[in-house]
Amino acid sequence: MTIKAILNGRVGTALVMLLIFMSMSLMALGFTDKARLMPLLVGIPGILLGIVQLTSEIRQSARRSADEADSDALSKAERNMFLWVFIFFFGLLGFGFIYAAPIVVFAFMYAGKKESLLVALISAAGTWAVLFGFFERVMEIPLFKGLIVEWMLN
Amino acid sequence: MDLSGIFDALLTIVGSPYHMSLLLLAVPIGMFFGAIPGLGGKLGVVLVIPFVFGMDATAGALFLIAMHAVVHTGGSVPSILFGVPGTGPDAATIVDGLPMTRKGEAGRALGAAFGASGFGGVIGGLFILALLPLLRPIVLQFSPAEFFLLALFGITLIAMLSGESLVKGLMVGFFGLMMAFVNLDPQTGTQRYTFDLLFLWDGIDIIAAVLGIFAIPEMIALGAAGGAMARVDKAAASHGRADVMRGIGDVFRHWRLSIRTSLIGAFIGMIPGLGGDAASWICYGHAVQSSKTPERFGKGAVEGVIAPETANNSKEGGSLLPTLFFAVPGSSGMAILLGAFVMLGIQPGPAIALTGMEIVWILIWGLMLANILAVMMFILVAPALGYLSYVRGNLLIPFVLILTFLGAFLAVRAWENMVLLAALGTIGYFLKKYDWPRPPFVIGLILGPIAEDSYHKAMSLWGPAFLLRPGALIMIGLIVLSIGFYVYQQVTNRRKSIWLSEDDH
Repeated sequence: MTIKAILNGRVGTALVMLLIFMSMSLMALGFTDKARLMPLLVGIPGILLGIVQLTSEIRQSARRSADEADSDALSKAERNMFLWVFIFFFGLLGFGFIYAAPIVVFAFMYAGKKESLLVALISAAGTWAVLFGFFERVMEIPLFKGLIVEWMLN
Repeated sequence: MDLSGIFDALLTIVGSPYHMSLLLLAVPIGMFFGAIPGLGGKLGVVLVIPFVFGMDATAGALFLIAMHAVVHTGGSVPSILFGVPGTGPDAATIVDGLPMTRKGEAGRALGAAFGASGFGGVIGGLFILALLPLLRPIVLQFSPAEFFLLALFGITLIAMLSGESLVKGLMVGFFGLMMAFVNLDPQTGTQRYTFDLLFLWDGIDIIAAVLGIFAIPEMIALGAAGGAMARVDKAAASHGRADVMRGIGDVFRHWRLSIRTSLIGAFIGMIPGLGGDAASWICYGHAVQSSKTPERFGKGAVEGVIAPETANNSKEGGSLLPTLFFAVPGSSGMAILLGAFVMLGIQPGPAIALTGMEIVWILIWGLMLANILAVMMFILVAPALGYLSYVRGNLLIPFVLILTFLGAFLAVRAWENMVLLAALGTIGYFLKKYDWPRPPFVIGLILGPIAEDSYHKAMSLWGPAFLLRPGALIMIGLIVLSIGFYVYQQVTNRRKSIWLSEDDH
């Protein structure tokens, strides 16, 4: 049983869940009696279940073949999509919906997914029209301006 | 009961072109607000209040109630097609609606959702209409003790939604419960897991959490796999009007389930503070529990669409009762409606039973008519909506991602919600990839605060003796029955599979 065979996504997910329960239960010990009752009532069984699940995943991983273990790992396409989700996230967080959204939509379509320039441009313009025209102008809902833009404006 | 008053109210609406045109205008507006994640019915009502302010009370209230009644009908569309819930209570529809879309049954799923919404809305209205005198004292009997046990009953449904792994299901449910404790403790004001961040003092926002756990993982998976949401060939799929009608027919084929979940939804709606999210998940759990083939759920069972959708709309009828008669809103949406009613000159409270029953009947009929109109309107557009499931992922993903981040931001107007969305989206993807059931998370998150708050209140009022109250004993009986039924089902299924494997040998 090699370390690589054991340390796969399934085991990692079970481990993260266990760590969440452990850390939240530990933190709950610092609360007042009434405040910690429910978190501990849920957290302690959560830890026990986490240990059971982690043990089960490790045992199953040891039995799994190398091919099966590889199929559990994140593929290049998945890593790529994660990257795009975080580009959207940081773009919107930094520069807000009105400025960042059309740019990230264009970048995703044109650079990321190799759509035609026309489709990417129309999509970006449509996104801007909906966000700015519909939400900000028609509905008068102020959208998030972005942390960097707000900092620059201030 | 004043029957002539009830039917006069119906005539006041259908006999007036002005009132009917208001309904026809309000329904698409309500559905639109429901279909856009983050907007929702509350914002919709708030935005149109200035427009109805000059109307007479009946017309204004009718417009608002019609709009509010069909929000969840619209919310089912993005849930089914993209796995993005339009509103919080629509999250339960994703569990089976999205797999139906993947199987090429988007038309049928949409038909079932619209049919169930209309059915639930009408049954919810009729339920209140018929049982109004009987239900008032029952609702008044609901105390924190019954609230706590009702929430506990909902939490036991986690087991039913755990699919093949009970341990994984329980862990995800407990994770949802732990996330529900991120707030200022309601009893002591102690900061719990807030890290001194002000936006966490009110707890984790359900909309952002649901979008993170469901929508982001679906988009990552779609982008990684390529193609469209539907995984079957367009020619082999069902998205025409006949398939939409088949979905509507499913609601009547499963009429017993439709009626049961409508009634459960209406009853839960009547109880202030329990909320619509609880109604849809409890009804989904009931559908799984009462099915002879529970293993189909989560893989595209039409009953999994019918149950939450009937509950979503029937609870609106139920929540009218405490809103109008006790001035205690049954949900946050009803709280805004309550304010709007007061602005229009309608004074909710016990006195309305003596002086304002006409407006009560009008609102109940308006609610039912709006649901029927919504179904008719959706039948017209559903086939076109079904085609959206065949739009290439490359074209769909960026818009859904923008809409998801926008929904998270608009839910509480806090950019921190976008951080929460990204974090829960990452966890949600790994849960999805490694076959951890995600619905229990939402149940834990929704019912955790209700359970905790009512437990402390019940303990302060009666001590442990709260468990001996008559209502509490009934609820305990329901919980025991529910767990017993689950154990019985598991044992029977295991025996069946052993017999089948022995027969094979």
